[in-house]
Amino acid sequence: MRADISRGTTVPEVFETVTELTVNGRPSVLSLDTRVTLLDALRDHLGLVGTKKGCDQGACGACTVHVNGKRVLSCLTLAAQCEGRAVTTIEGVARAGAPHPVQEAFVARDGFQCGFCTPGQIMSAIALIDEERAGTDDEIREFMSGNLCRCGAYPNMVAAIREVVSEGNGNAVI
Amino acid sequence: MSGTVVGAGINRVDGPRKVAGAAPYPSDFNVHHQVHAALVGSTVAAGRVVRIDTAAAEAAPGVIRVLTHLNMPRLERGPMTALGASPPPPMQDDLIRHYGQHLALVVAESPEQAAAAARLVAVEYERTEPLLDVLDPKAPQVIDPWGTDSDRGDTEAALASAEVKVTQTYTTPDNTNSPLGLFATLAIWDRDRLTVHDTTQWPSMVKETLAAVFEVPESSVRVLVPYVGGAFGAGLRAWQHVILTVAAARLIGRPVKLVLTRPQMFSCVGHRPDTVQQVSLAANRSGELTAIDHRTVSSLAMEDDDYEAVSAGSAFAYRCRNVVTRDVQARLNRPAPCSMRAPAEGQGNFALESAMDELAYALAMDPLQLRLRNDTDVDPRSGLPWSSKALRECYQVGAERFGWSSRDPEPGSMRDGDWLIGYGMAGCSYPWYSVPCSARATVSRDGSALVLSAVTDIGTGTYTVMTQVSAEHLGLPLGLVRFDLGDSDMPAAPQAGGSGLTGSLGNAVVDACGRLVRRFAELAAEDGESPLHGVPPEAVTAGGGRVHVKGESSRGESYIDILSRNGLPELSADGSSTPASPEDLGMAPSGAFGAKFVEVRVDRDLGLVRIARVVSAIDGGRILNEKTGRSQIIGATIGGIGQALFEDTVTDPGTGRIANGTFGDYLIPVNADIPDLDVVFVGEPDRFSPIGTKGIGEIGLVGIAAAVANAVRHATGRRVRSLPITIDDLL
Repeated sequence: MRADISRGTTVPEVFETVTELTVNGRPSVLSLDTRVTLLDALRDHLGLVGTKKGCDQGACGACTVHVNGKRVLSCLTLAAQCEGRAVTTIEGVARAGAPHPVQEAFVARDGFQCGFCTPGQIMSAIALIDEERAGTDDEIREFMSGNLCRCGAYPNMVAAIREVVSEGNGNAVI
Repeated sequence: MSGTVVGAGINRVDGPRKVAGAAPYPSDFNVHHQVHAALVGSTVAAGRVVRIDTAAAEAAPGVIRVLTHLNMPRLERGPMTALGASPPPPMQDDLIRHYGQHLALVVAESPEQAAAAARLVAVEYERTEPLLDVLDPKAPQVIDPWGTDSDRGDTEAALASAEVKVTQTYTTPDNTNSPLGLFATLAIWDRDRLTVHDTTQWPSMVKETLAAVFEVPESSVRVLVPYVGGAFGAGLRAWQHVILTVAAARLIGRPVKLVLTRPQMFSCVGHRPDTVQQVSLAANRSGELTAIDHRTVSSLAMEDDDYEAVSAGSAFAYRCRNVVTRDVQARLNRPAPCSMRAPAEGQGNFALESAMDELAYALAMDPLQLRLRNDTDVDPRSGLPWSSKALRECYQVGAERFGWSSRDPEPGSMRDGDWLIGYGMAGCSYPWYSVPCSARATVSRDGSALVLSAVTDIGTGTYTVMTQVSAEHLGLPLGLVRFDLGDSDMPAAPQAGGSGLTGSLGNAVVDACGRLVRRFAELAAEDGESPLHGVPPEAVTAGGGRVHVKGESSRGESYIDILSRNGLPELSADGSSTPASPEDLGMAPSGAFGAKFVEVRVDRDLGLVRIARVVSAIDGGRILNEKTGRSQIIGATIGGIGQALFEDTVTDPGTGRIANGTFGDYLIPVNADIPDLDVVFVGEPDRFSPIGTKGIGEIGLVGIAAAVANAVRHATGRRVRSLPITIDDLL
């Protein structure tokens, strides 16, 4: 038997920073603890809870959003890094009240079950089509592999994305 | 009632909300004035807390309270559930039972402050040697924990005199449920009334547990979970973190929210326990089984229960006179296991169906023929005929779709360049399970219906299929019917688990709708102005938004007219279901059956395994929605592929720490691992359950691991008896 002590004893200092974010076309000014990620800023400070936290470690893709049109993991992005950039979340992909074609195809093809990973999957799928990486099923599978789904809806997601691409609806501007 | 609504592959009714990010999961809820909690876990697996220093954490910015075993209120253990004892109450003493055990809960104004302060809690331990290995002779054992061990005939003699015999040991590792949704609890006390948003598959159980633990009436507790975010069994218990969050909210007098971290999802909310299984099979030269002997040891927490009757399925899988099954659980200093999709069968079937494949090789017999030869149309335990069983059809239809007849039985004989091709198959079942359930149906003056039950939809499609069932039995179009769930104030209901909910709930919904139609018929019969005046209610049925005389749809009137004339805003009826007794019905209640056919490709130089094709032929009884039903099987198949090739929760043998508790380290299948998967449903509605379903949540997973291992054997000549099958097994 031996005794040991774990963990430190230092009280961290806290810094706040004012960040201007444009999310889904709407500008907002937030005063945030510098440690706040883009994911937590969206969820906890802007009330946009459609973007999900599945791991907070950049490994599951549930938090995928677009920053200046590129897909990023919002849990590995500090909110302060997004100053002056355009952020798009799942709440911002519908146009004029109509769902995005990828959203419609996910419903029609049953590309989800519990639905928790779904916003991230859809944000990846929209970007994937925009990146022109949806040419074949194997390409779709490969470039959707940063988004985990535990219910196991992968084949149906591939079918949904394939359908959007084949109908030529993939180039909807976000 | 017409059958056009039920069975149709309609889109999920909750689909538009889910794809819009508008479906609220437990972690999405926030309330005014809430504070945030973070957990501190033990960094040793066994021993005692000598000292716990919370001063630095308490002094950290934003911190409101730090709870430890020193200041945590003493709590009673929650009541027994259908799945065994409630988890022991948290932080009641200084004993450490496993690595990651909750030692402190830090509550602060923000989540960042709580997480930062949790790192400041300093713990001094007195360590003892942890028990970590399932075969450790010092581990306390629980013999036949669930009373499922079985004995038929004289297995010892049959094995001794066998013409052909296989005896092997198979092992399966810990797997972790790993739903994408982090488990979350938000506890709100208003004097003695408690509202909890919680990630659970079983709101009624959480309500009862919290009422008992916190000594308030059940009517004062409300548990809400409209969307779960996956769980796969992890949501079947009132876990310790839930109790801690509710306790903290009561002590502090503010709502407290706790969201587990991904590593905590590996140590705080259960996992599929590892097993060591010995299987002996004996057969005569024509391939008739003469003995099955299946003995297992699986791991268990020091002070908790887990329903895991690993070998039980071997007692009824085949026609065989001489059978022994034995299950033992070994208590270890590891986090508590719990049900994980296809609990027990997921592990037990891997051993049995691998051994069947080994027996087929020993007999020089086609493995499919071996299964067909030993199929049983009665439950061998009772001798009663199955209430439904289309396993032979599963084998035949599955083999045809797969092209099994083109398999060259010689291992390693089928190739495509550097890829060795292997075909493997397995039979499977998932036992019947049903418990009482209740529901309430209401039709309002606007002609719409609302049907309620305190169940959850864990992604299976409960919202959707129960909308279909309600619409059919109330005679209303889908658009006028809403089925709602996820609120413990609704009629009491069992868990979404054990492949039992759709039957239990479906029968309750049918009963509620039937009673409601009868109430309308009774109102109309007593009403001189109604066209149904004097018509006996049993002669009335529903259709087209009306109640009318059976076989005479013109003689009737609408729900709206009946309610209007009686001055009623709505009419409701409560319904319930209770499973019948097998003896009374003279049949053995069937669970689902299935046959799985897998093609693997193994790189002959690199040992890389890829799944090329899977055909799953499933007898799930009546399928309420072809689309969501197929999705269930596909999803579970992918879970089975994970079990076969990837998933292995590694416990460090020195410290008892889970060494790979992140999604970067614990591998689950990704999109690129999965080909298109073929699913075919066969069979008829089940005779035991009035609604005719058998439950299909687990059957898709069972058999996949064995079929993959059998395919790998066929491709490479190597028999891998330990999951997962990885490159190092095949180099």
